[in-house]
Amino acid sequence: MKALIVIALLGVVTMMSEVFRFKKLLLPLVVVGLLAACGLAIGDWNTAIRYYSDMVYFDNYSLAFTSLIIVLTLLWLIISKGYFVSDSSRAEHATLILFTLCGGVIMTAYSDLSMFFVGLEILSISLYVLASSNKHDLKSNEAGMKYFLMGSFATGFLLFGMALIYGAAASFNLVKIAEYVQTTAAHGQTPMFVYTGVLLMMVGLMFKVSAAPFHFWAPDVYEGAPTLITAFMATVVKTAAFAAFYRLFSTCFGDISGFWAQTLAVISAVTMLTGNILAVSQTSLKRMLAYSSIAHAGYMLMAIVAMNKISGGAIFLYATAYSLGSLGAFACLHAISKYGDESIENLKGFAADNKIWAGLLGVIVLSLAGIPPVAGFFAKYYIFYGVFQSNFTWLVLVAILSSLIGVYYYFRIIITMVQPRSEKATVLPALTGAHKALLLISALLALGIGIYPAFLQGLLS
Amino acid sequence: MNPSLPFFVLATLSVFSALMVVLSRKPVHSVLYLIFCFFTIGGHYLLLNAQFLFAVHIIVYAGAIMVLFLFTLMFINMNKELEPHKSNLLKGAATIAAGCLLLVLVAATKGAETLPAISKTSDIGTVSNLGKALYGQYLLPFELISILLLTAMVGAVMLGKKDVE
Amino acid sequence: MFSLEKLVSIIQAWLQSTLRDPWAYVVVCVMVGVAAIALFAILGLMLVYMERKVAAHMQIRLGPNRVGPMGLFQTTADTLKLVMKEGLTPDGADKFLFNLAPFMVMIAAMLILAPIAFAKNFQIWDISIGVLYVAAVSSVAVIGILMAGWSSNNKYSLLGAMRSAAQIVSYELSAGLSILAIVILSGSLKISDIINSQADGWWIIKGHIPVIIAFIVFIIAVTAETNRAPFDLAEAESELTAGFHTEYSGMKFALFFLAEYINIFIGCAIGATIFLGGWMPFHIGNWEAFNHVMDFIPSSLWFIGKTVFLIFLIMWFRWTFPRLRVDQLLNLEWKYLLPISMVNLLVVTLMAIMGWHL
Repeated sequence: MKALIVIALLGVVTMMSEVFRFKKLLLPLVVVGLLAACGLAIGDWNTAIRYYSDMVYFDNYSLAFTSLIIVLTLLWLIISKGYFVSDSSRAEHATLILFTLCGGVIMTAYSDLSMFFVGLEILSISLYVLASSNKHDLKSNEAGMKYFLMGSFATGFLLFGMALIYGAAASFNLVKIAEYVQTTAAHGQTPMFVYTGVLLMMVGLMFKVSAAPFHFWAPDVYEGAPTLITAFMATVVKTAAFAAFYRLFSTCFGDISGFWAQTLAVISAVTMLTGNILAVSQTSLKRMLAYSSIAHAGYMLMAIVAMNKISGGAIFLYATAYSLGSLGAFACLHAISKYGDESIENLKGFAADNKIWAGLLGVIVLSLAGIPPVAGFFAKYYIFYGVFQSNFTWLVLVAILSSLIGVYYYFRIIITMVQPRSEKATVLPALTGAHKALLLISALLALGIGIYPAFLQGLLS
Repeated sequence: MNPSLPFFVLATLSVFSALMVVLSRKPVHSVLYLIFCFFTIGGHYLLLNAQFLFAVHIIVYAGAIMVLFLFTLMFINMNKELEPHKSNLLKGAATIAAGCLLLVLVAATKGAETLPAISKTSDIGTVSNLGKALYGQYLLPFELISILLLTAMVGAVMLGKKDVE
Repeated sequence: MFSLEKLVSIIQAWLQSTLRDPWAYVVVCVMVGVAAIALFAILGLMLVYMERKVAAHMQIRLGPNRVGPMGLFQTTADTLKLVMKEGLTPDGADKFLFNLAPFMVMIAAMLILAPIAFAKNFQIWDISIGVLYVAAVSSVAVIGILMAGWSSNNKYSLLGAMRSAAQIVSYELSAGLSILAIVILSGSLKISDIINSQADGWWIIKGHIPVIIAFIVFIIAVTAETNRAPFDLAEAESELTAGFHTEYSGMKFALFFLAEYINIFIGCAIGATIFLGGWMPFHIGNWEAFNHVMDFIPSSLWFIGKTVFLIFLIMWFRWTFPRLRVDQLLNLEWKYLLPISMVNLLVVTLMAIMGWHL
């Protein structure tokens, strides 16, 4: 709760920086504020308090995710310095980013569907604007518009679902809904209302996390939005959305999992396959990362399908590993996309020029692909293990198959990197200090988690 | 007189106007039907004795949002040529998807147990009760909605303003 | 002295004794409808006459003085002329919307009449959200205006409608906020409660400076909402011919014209009700004798007197201030009136919490 208040106030203060002319302090202010928020969130560990007539519930699950998204935002801030120093509307950018984070925190901690909706809308509306924040670029405008339309459509489904659930359970409170679902399920009299509501909410959430049949907006939006915002969307926002998804389904609808688990399993399989297969044929690194993020959404959905003791920790570990990997990859992409061309070919000769940094990028890509010593492998391992325990063996097989496809295109990045420079590419990606720092941090963290994954996983088990 | 007659009249009107929103050829007509639809929904609030909600619904939706919609639409010269063309396949797919959703919803409602409507004399929708709910149980979401509105405002300003530097 | 309250109760008693239950209700509805329409017609005629006479007085002229005694029947004659004219529908207009628009505007104006208390216990519908209802319904008139402007298929009409709508939508905010100031003080949205809360003094007197500020903002907002000079650029004759009703003629034009004056009346009636006590006579604290003398004047006269005074004020503005440009108009609202009324609202809230107004 304290973290939430600090972030919200920080957003308001940064907004004022334009009026009271302390724009130069913007970045330090945001960093200090976020560190404070993160500290406060970690300080609340093991307290599990329900605030304001059970509107938010900061248990360890939500505190872990809150800290995670704050840390990810801090890491993201390393490469986005330019966004906050030179741009003419940097105060607004900072405000919107902080408000997005605020929405994300609400989404990890809500204990009432009304709060969930408010959090989701705060998050989405800031993102719609951020996606189109490159005002003079038509692609960015299109991305914002597309995201807005699709997002509102999804919100409509979600609200419809919430209304039906409310109609059945007569409450927005997660605990009361869970009680209602449990009692009716025990007598085998769950009304159709609940099923329809669950289904509609699922559709809405699928849109938000860009799962397979509802993923069409994602590549275009990820491609059109400014690279930094794409990085933010693919990491912080996706983590928050999955935290909310898992929280809702694990708290409320665990007792009727027979109804939705199969559906979700199929969707997760389709998502993984679609994401990975379509990523193979991409030439633009940004689009490839977009499809890869769709595929990762499929893996994370598996944890929701499994829904057993270890899935909470598994989804947390996966979100961490995936977000760190993506941040690193996006740092690289940001470095090469400065010249407007985001094609993979630009990476040619990268290894020859910057041996250390290419190595670190290699570590990150290995983590994304899920190759043993790095974090990604263990994240996948725990997820697969959980699903296996819940008797979805076929889903595990599909996941392994699609991971193999994933390995193919992730290795393409590494192979391109070590190839000699092509004659066409006149400019080389120049890594600035910020990019190097982020690469280093995320690669080290990926390795560290790979060495001792049980720490993160055990936090929530 | 059947006590639920006003409800059925209003419900028919709202369904009709909602359909016309989609079916109208001219966008301005669609918006006007949408306004009409909002009025009929406001009528439903009145039937439930939620007069405050009725007034707010009309002020916010019909009076503010839709007026701005009309405003923008009237400035844009919408022609048929500019209308994006949808292939029949897409149209068919959309119809089937929406029809399935309708089927599911109807099935869900059909099997549901019904509860008596809130009596007309109940004052659950009055301003004081609403205020107590908003500042009591729902204090936190109510306050956080200010962040939501602030976000929208900051976003609109950011997208709308000229670049100075 | 006659009292409208007694009249109403006599009619109701008579109807209930002669007719069976649903029919008495129906007859009352019809009577209210007829009375409202009659009131509209009379108001329209009187206000137009008043406007011309006031204007003439300000410009040291005589004004209408040929038709009837002191020119009293001048407006009646004008109306007759309008009614007999042909109602044209321009080519390329959206016929349905074009013909619907004047009625929309008129119906919106009529609906606002419902919660207005014309005299003690003389009110059509004392809805529990009184002033909010007024705000809600008056926002509908904008749609009628936009419809008229767009369906005329005429650039002047469209521009006039846009200006008018922008103006009404913006000024509705500060009008609403200044009404809210009184709502906070009286603790109710209901019109009858607001009036009764002024039994020991009108709000403008016992509400100190914040209420006076709210009143001034409200009067400015009403002037702007009714598109009257100095805010009449929606129908600035020299620029836009006649604004959104350029293409209208005959009876439909008369309806717009009438609605405009009705809206002035309604705005002033609301202002008189919430700031000047509506039908509540002028009372001073506990001066029993003085208060009794004041009570002797019928409540309907108090209400009409206050309303006409406010209408006169608004007519006075027209011949005092020059017309604003569109940017000045919007600046005035968004940069001055809105912040002022928001801060004022906070002050009023503080006042209500501390009980300074008692």
